[in-house]
Amino acid sequence: MQDLVRMWSNTRMVVLSAVSAAVYAAVLIPFKAIPVIPGLTEIRPAAALPPLCSILFGPAGAWGSAFGNLIGDFFGMLGPGSIFGFLGNFLYGYIPYRAWRALSDQEPQPLSVTGWAKLLLAFLLGAGACALVIAWGVDLLGLAPFKALVNIILINNALMALLISPFLVAILYPMIKNFGLLATDLLEPAPRSRLSRVGLVLLIIGILGGLLAGNLLAFGALNPAGLGLPALSLPWLVSPFLLILLLGVVLA
Amino acid sequence: MSLFLYSERGSLFHRLHPSAKIMGLLLAFVAAMAFSHPLFLLPLALVFVPPGLAAHVGPGLKRVGWLMVIIGIMSFILWGIFYPGSAGPSYPLGPLRLRQPALLYGAGMALRLNLMLYAGLTFLASTRVEEFTAGLQRLGVPYSISFALSLSFRLVPIFTDTAVTILDAQRSRGLDTEAGGPQQRLRTYLPLLVPVFASALRRTNLLAIALESKGFGSGIPRVSFRQYRFAGADAVFLLLMSALAAACVTVRLLGYGGVA
Repeated sequence: MQDLVRMWSNTRMVVLSAVSAAVYAAVLIPFKAIPVIPGLTEIRPAAALPPLCSILFGPAGAWGSAFGNLIGDFFGMLGPGSIFGFLGNFLYGYIPYRAWRALSDQEPQPLSVTGWAKLLLAFLLGAGACALVIAWGVDLLGLAPFKALVNIILINNALMALLISPFLVAILYPMIKNFGLLATDLLEPAPRSRLSRVGLVLLIIGILGGLLAGNLLAFGALNPAGLGLPALSLPWLVSPFLLILLLGVVLA
Repeated sequence: MSLFLYSERGSLFHRLHPSAKIMGLLLAFVAAMAFSHPLFLLPLALVFVPPGLAAHVGPGLKRVGWLMVIIGIMSFILWGIFYPGSAGPSYPLGPLRLRQPALLYGAGMALRLNLMLYAGLTFLASTRVEEFTAGLQRLGVPYSISFALSLSFRLVPIFTDTAVTILDAQRSRGLDTEAGGPQQRLRTYLPLLVPVFASALRRTNLLAIALESKGFGSGIPRVSFRQYRFAGADAVFLLLMSALAAACVTVRLLGYGGVA
């Protein structure tokens, strides 16, 4: 995770984070007028961009996605929910990069079915983490119920990440490589840790577990008292999965 | 920030130090978050509205006011349906049973969300991008991060213009962007992301060279042409906002302001 700090000493990475943010915001803002849950989420074709920026620019894509979402909120929706929007979009723009590096040594230009499956898994993990963190945060603040938000964000992000992002990567990756602007060109990548696969497994457990447990608790299919869990509100019951997710990000 | 909601006026809020405004906004959020009962949030609205009017939120409200109304209605409906528990009197409405605590909580959340958005609008109406980033720096955010955020704000209108130019060029070649329903239009617009993105990236190297030629990343402490001075008015403003937030939290800790 040191790359998240190291990138700020590289001028091109700083500019790339700003460019990613501006493109993300420029596509987000026109669709603010078509809300799904007003004030919290809207139709988001722009959700195809964080996975793309993540794969191309790594940490700069992560910061760019977070900044882009914040700029979108400056269009009139600035509130405490923006903090979790920032964190969720940061993970959406960072996890695909980390997950891909943990999954494969190849360039993200898959020629095989397995390669495509790995790329799509990396994108899906980012989409799931974003949905989980935002829904968890806004429920914690009492702004919107977890169950009303989590699946909408997940479906919105996952659809764009699966249907559009792979094609954007296929088209733009060779071009960016020619420009010499890939994260791997600008920042010396840290050698893959022996624990990166463990991190990936923790990521999957944290995201899948959090989404599943959150949904089951929210829709009443799981009774915390019946499981011997303390009588806490949903966000607190889901919190352990978020900790696993964060540990996964650190190790992957 | 003209693309956004900045209002070019000279109000007291406009003159406050940017870091005081950022802290004030966070304290306003704390005050609003303390209560979930609408009867306790209503007096808070009376505290929030006059400073907003003084900061000229009017044009911003005209642009996003309709969205705030929808937000209020949606929040009321969502919490009315999804509020947990089964206590309290309930009223049948078709297949649903609406419970009094749920309705009260829904009304409280609608009011709370709108109060926080209004506080956000007050901030946006009185704060330029460069003031916002200067405020972040004063609060300890490293220069390169606040610079990247500031640069992103500036690039948004440039990229929006690029997108419009590309769209016009495609239209002149016969692309029909008005045909079909939302799905068809989405399919028409999405491929345009590629040239917009490529055009944005072409600027990256030039921008980086321009920045480095001006000493960006040299590590030498920077000076700024525009200096923001933390004045007495900023201290008074922060003191008042801290007192408001502390009072709200104390009232809540004493057991008032929640929905049972």
